[in-house]
Amino acid sequence: MSIESPLSRRQFLSGAYGMGTVALATLLREEGLLANPALAGLTGHYDLKPKPAHGFGQAKAMISLFMQGGPSHIDLFEPKPELVKLDGKNFPGEIKYDDAAGASREVMGPQWKFRQYGQSGLNFSDLVPHMGSIADEMTMIHSMHTGVNNHGQSIYALLNGSITGGRPTLGSWLTYGLGSENQNLPAYVALTDPRGLPVLGVDNFSNGWLPSVYQGTVIRPKEPRILNLDPPMSLKGDAQEKYLRFVQRLNAEHAEQRPGESDLEARIQSFELAARMQISAKEALDISQESAATLKMYGIDKPATEEFGKRCLIARRLVERGVRFVSVFTGNQTWDHHSSILTGLPSACLQVDQPAAALVLDLKQRGLLDTTVVHWGGEMGRLPVIQNRAGTKGRAAVGRDHNTYGFSMWVAGGGFKGGYAHGATDEFGHHAVEKVVNHFDYHATLLHLFGLETKKLSFKRNGTEQVLVDNPKARVITELLA
Amino acid sequence: MLRLLVLFFGLTAASASLGAETLITFEKDVRPILKAQCFHCHGEDGELKGGLDVRLARSILNGGKSGAAVVPGNALESHLLKLVREGEMPKGKAKLKASQIETIERWIAQGAKTARPEPEKLGAEHAFTDEERAWWAFQSIQKPVKPTVKGSARFNHPIDAFVAAKQEEKALSFSPVADPVTLIRRATFDLTGLPPTPAEVEAFEAAYLRDGHSAMQNLIERLLASPAYGERWGRHWLDIAGYADSDGYTDKDLERKYAYKYRDYVIKAWNSDKPFDAFIREQLAGDEMVPQPHKNLSADAIEKITATGFLRMAADGTGAMNDKIAQNSTIADTIKIISTAFYGMTIGCAQCHDHRYDPITQEDYYRLRAVFEPGFDTKSWRTPAGRLVSLLTDADRAKGAVIEAEAKKLDTARFAKQEEFITEVLEKELAKVDEKDREALRKAYRTVAKDRKPEQVTLLKANPKVNQLSAGSLYLYDSTYKTKHADTLKKMTEEAASVRAKKPREEFLHAFDEQPKKPEAIPATFLFHRGDIEQPKQAVKPGDLTILAGLRQVEVPEKSSALPTTGRRLAFAKSLTDGKHPLLARVLANQVWMRHFGKGLVNSPGDFGQLGERPSHPELLDWLAAEFMESGWSMKQLHRLMMTSQTYQQSSRRESERERIDPDNRLLSRMNVVRLEAETLRDSLLAVSGRLMQKIGGEPVPVTYNEQGQIIIGIDTRDTAGRQTGKLAPMHGLDYRRSIYIQARRSMPLEVFAAFDAPAMTEANCAARPVTTVSPQSLLLMNNLYMREHAQDLAQRVMREAGTDLEEQVKLAWRLCYARSPSLADLDAAVEFVQAQVVHYKAHPTKLEHVNAPAEKSDAAPDLLGLAALCHALMSANEFLYVD
Repeated sequence: MSIESPLSRRQFLSGAYGMGTVALATLLREEGLLANPALAGLTGHYDLKPKPAHGFGQAKAMISLFMQGGPSHIDLFEPKPELVKLDGKNFPGEIKYDDAAGASREVMGPQWKFRQYGQSGLNFSDLVPHMGSIADEMTMIHSMHTGVNNHGQSIYALLNGSITGGRPTLGSWLTYGLGSENQNLPAYVALTDPRGLPVLGVDNFSNGWLPSVYQGTVIRPKEPRILNLDPPMSLKGDAQEKYLRFVQRLNAEHAEQRPGESDLEARIQSFELAARMQISAKEALDISQESAATLKMYGIDKPATEEFGKRCLIARRLVERGVRFVSVFTGNQTWDHHSSILTGLPSACLQVDQPAAALVLDLKQRGLLDTTVVHWGGEMGRLPVIQNRAGTKGRAAVGRDHNTYGFSMWVAGGGFKGGYAHGATDEFGHHAVEKVVNHFDYHATLLHLFGLETKKLSFKRNGTEQVLVDNPKARVITELLA
Repeated sequence: MLRLLVLFFGLTAASASLGAETLITFEKDVRPILKAQCFHCHGEDGELKGGLDVRLARSILNGGKSGAAVVPGNALESHLLKLVREGEMPKGKAKLKASQIETIERWIAQGAKTARPEPEKLGAEHAFTDEERAWWAFQSIQKPVKPTVKGSARFNHPIDAFVAAKQEEKALSFSPVADPVTLIRRATFDLTGLPPTPAEVEAFEAAYLRDGHSAMQNLIERLLASPAYGERWGRHWLDIAGYADSDGYTDKDLERKYAYKYRDYVIKAWNSDKPFDAFIREQLAGDEMVPQPHKNLSADAIEKITATGFLRMAADGTGAMNDKIAQNSTIADTIKIISTAFYGMTIGCAQCHDHRYDPITQEDYYRLRAVFEPGFDTKSWRTPAGRLVSLLTDADRAKGAVIEAEAKKLDTARFAKQEEFITEVLEKELAKVDEKDREALRKAYRTVAKDRKPEQVTLLKANPKVNQLSAGSLYLYDSTYKTKHADTLKKMTEEAASVRAKKPREEFLHAFDEQPKKPEAIPATFLFHRGDIEQPKQAVKPGDLTILAGLRQVEVPEKSSALPTTGRRLAFAKSLTDGKHPLLARVLANQVWMRHFGKGLVNSPGDFGQLGERPSHPELLDWLAAEFMESGWSMKQLHRLMMTSQTYQQSSRRESERERIDPDNRLLSRMNVVRLEAETLRDSLLAVSGRLMQKIGGEPVPVTYNEQGQIIIGIDTRDTAGRQTGKLAPMHGLDYRRSIYIQARRSMPLEVFAAFDAPAMTEANCAARPVTTVSPQSLLLMNNLYMREHAQDLAQRVMREAGTDLEEQVKLAWRLCYARSPSLADLDAAVEFVQAQVVHYKAHPTKLEHVNAPAEKSDAAPDLLGLAALCHALMSANEFLYVD
């Protein structure tokens, strides 16, 4: 007995061959068999066709601006008067260092002035005035906590719900559960930084053990952002159309003889997607169609903000076209200010402050913010005490060590409450003490906004149902919701 | 990976859910929880928060500042339980899992028992519990007896017997044997990384019909004897060694010009089936096997020193930025490479603190570092250039000196001639000057510029023809006086250069060559507190991991009395390969298994520890490891063993019952379908199109940027300002060499390599590659100009070899790409496709296209283009990319 092939002869041969280039995928989709991933699990067929959520979900898409390295929450978002008083004195309590290289007990107060912004009066330091300008759109979470004090583990916690690798990331789960609204672009896109991949490299957008159609696709940080979008001269137009049809005929026949090999099917789909991307990706990535005002708003007219601004703008263009999940990364350890925080933090902020705020505003003015979650944050915050690796270079060299016990990040849109600050760390900014939000709570809340249930969004593997949120303590933080 | 966690935490959860009679002991149940979550602040590294040490049950009972942490038999009164239950502890971390808290509670309720009396004190020798020592990977390798299975007469082959025994437990059985075409394709890709040729397939099919068993054996022997075998398996080893042709670490990513000699050493070692224990020893300590001084080296000595290139594979930024952090990073990466290659453990995790999950102490890490410290020598660090070992012999140098002396003579003659010419011209020019100024002008000209008086300068300026006369400007006067002085001098310069060109060329080895030192000059190794190089603590002596020392005597001297160098690495390498090391042979056998079967018996080949996966077939792994060592560490024998098994020769077709029972195919009731690796894909494209240049070894084929900023194979013709010149340097077919020979610049991976998951070695090394399926790969297959070239090449080859009949052409293309003939339906569809494309190209004439060659002047024949379109389709379809 052989497995009932999801790619039956009817679907593949009589259906596709002889029809248009993209007929195969369309055909499969229009069979309408695949209403939800649970059924997909049974048939072994996985695709990116849009799928209904388990219930109502206001959020349809997400853009995560991932600030790998750990921005200093006490210098940017959460003012701590107590630290101002203690500046230069010994820290009164216990400190959990990470590598403790050059650790000291000397408190360093926030180095920049804080102001209140908007109707809501949320606090922002002078390093991020543009974020201040969107205060009323965002939920600021001051009580984030992963509690695993190194980059890799904390990144894993925030991306895949566990402290180890090998598991699917948030974007993979969402595309697995909901598919994509655009079949001509990758459903899950990673916009990487020209300075290199963040810590953990491709694990940041890995599908883990979910089928590979749910893998994040990298769009390069420089032109050409996607390689090989143009066919060779000899394969333009009709010639390529015929070529693609023939390749898919070969692939269909090959897959039909190998039922259940989901990788083959993923590659068939990726071939179809690639064919469509030739036109649609080029269009989506072409920011020359944007008005001068828009480019200026993202800071694309200025050297400091041009690069990140372009990627934020591309993220908006992708989401606007139905892409489900976009990650925008800053470079490897951009925010890991163990040293030289006095110069390093302002320059990191300068690059992202205006573009990130512009993204939220732009989505809002296009009516997309209601359905799009924007996330800004890293895998940790930083300690209130001085760290000085070299020890001899004086004030210019000082920095702050890791702190995953309490840190801030913000989310906006998609059903998150505007102008709201949630939770707090202790008076020194070290430990989240009030209304703590763990990574699993954050995930549960996100899934809720997308109309997905944490237990139902599951994938059967080796006899057990695997889920993103597998901590029984996880809860939807309703205070965060609009 | 989740499964691993479940597995790990499940240990305690499972014990908690057992009946009330089950005895909970500190060592087995409670300590692992505390070790992972609490030791850091309560016991480790002198940290005793609240005065509490939780490493021993005894010290927990003694308690800390707030009194006893646990009251045996009374969970309610136990402070520790209260704290963990309320989530107060572990401080700042996630609350313990309910199952873990329950375990602790029951342990207390049962009287807080230990499995055995606890040690008096916690020195290194007591660092681990019996439970940690009992971890499967640390047990010595015993060769298990081949199991008996029902109907076991069928399983003569030990591998099959082990696999069948496991299958039997789940009512599974082997899939049928694959067809001969599948077998030869699988075996050829596995052993050579290339597809079988149509002739090879035909011969094998015929032989297989006569006698399947001997046909398979002969096939394996033929493939193992092919030089392509070393290129294929050498590449696997280079992944593990972290091979690159550049230094990495900084943006400059400087070229590593001589790393390729190590690559060639590796290929040769695999091809000659060098006993693997010797291969390992040479890579770790080849330099200590060669007498000092390392001059006038014999071929054997060169080979041994070349082998130590292994220890110089890690990224080393000190050529661009030589600071302590960069130095330390080079050493740390080297330890990571050693750790994955030989231990299959994440020893690097113990750089800053004791390993959180495995019994590896921080001191162990530095013990291992001490083995390599004298060679690295942070006291007098040598940058990459400073570490190169010259191959110039004394005889070469003497010969060079003779030639240099000869060249110097020519230089002297040229200077004299030059002076003569200048004087001649000067006098001619002076003759044209007013007589009254003549002597003053001559004197001014002959005065060194900086000593000239102002009036002399003025005089010279007034007479530019004299002023500007120099060796470099002589050619200008040649036209005035109808002389050929400049030419004459140029010829003399060239003559000297051509003499110098005869000097023996200085070649180097990129090697790890420890410098002999007096004992007092040997750098000490310090444990760095929390991994911080600025906080050295106690000095540490060289040695192996403590956990392994219990199994066998490991002695690494601080300074060998027999050798001019410390001898640490030589002693370490010998102990590693003494046949008693529990990890090495298992790790190697698993690596080889993974590359034949698509998955390892341990599916985390770089981590045999707690966070890795447990072996699916522990007995089989041990049997293979033992057999491998008994065979004299012969890799080729290990291949024979695996490939002659029924397990290997099964069909890869999935079948629903097997899928239901074992969806991940851990029990091997079928073969796994695998995708070609990046290099194999490119090599196959070259092979079927008839372009592959078969040449072993040598300097890497350079990569460069083209005008579009894409990385291509080619010689950099940009000008000194980095601008494209549009010049094309001929490659003489070198661009058709196998992928292992393409320069591996960490910052410049060739597109096909990056897209298809080849490691660029921006991490230390790569124990197992990811396999991705993303649309940029499909775009590359469709649109990349290299693909177009391959398709054109294949079409031309097919036309050359199959004649003008289209059906014959289609059949040959099919056989070249897929090792089989097309079905009738395939044939019809293909012919129809080509004909339609020909019609298209007649209406839309176009040219052949090239990546790095001048543009074609005229349009190509439509039938060639039509056939190229078919070839392109065949080469980008899944049947090309996957192996059954």
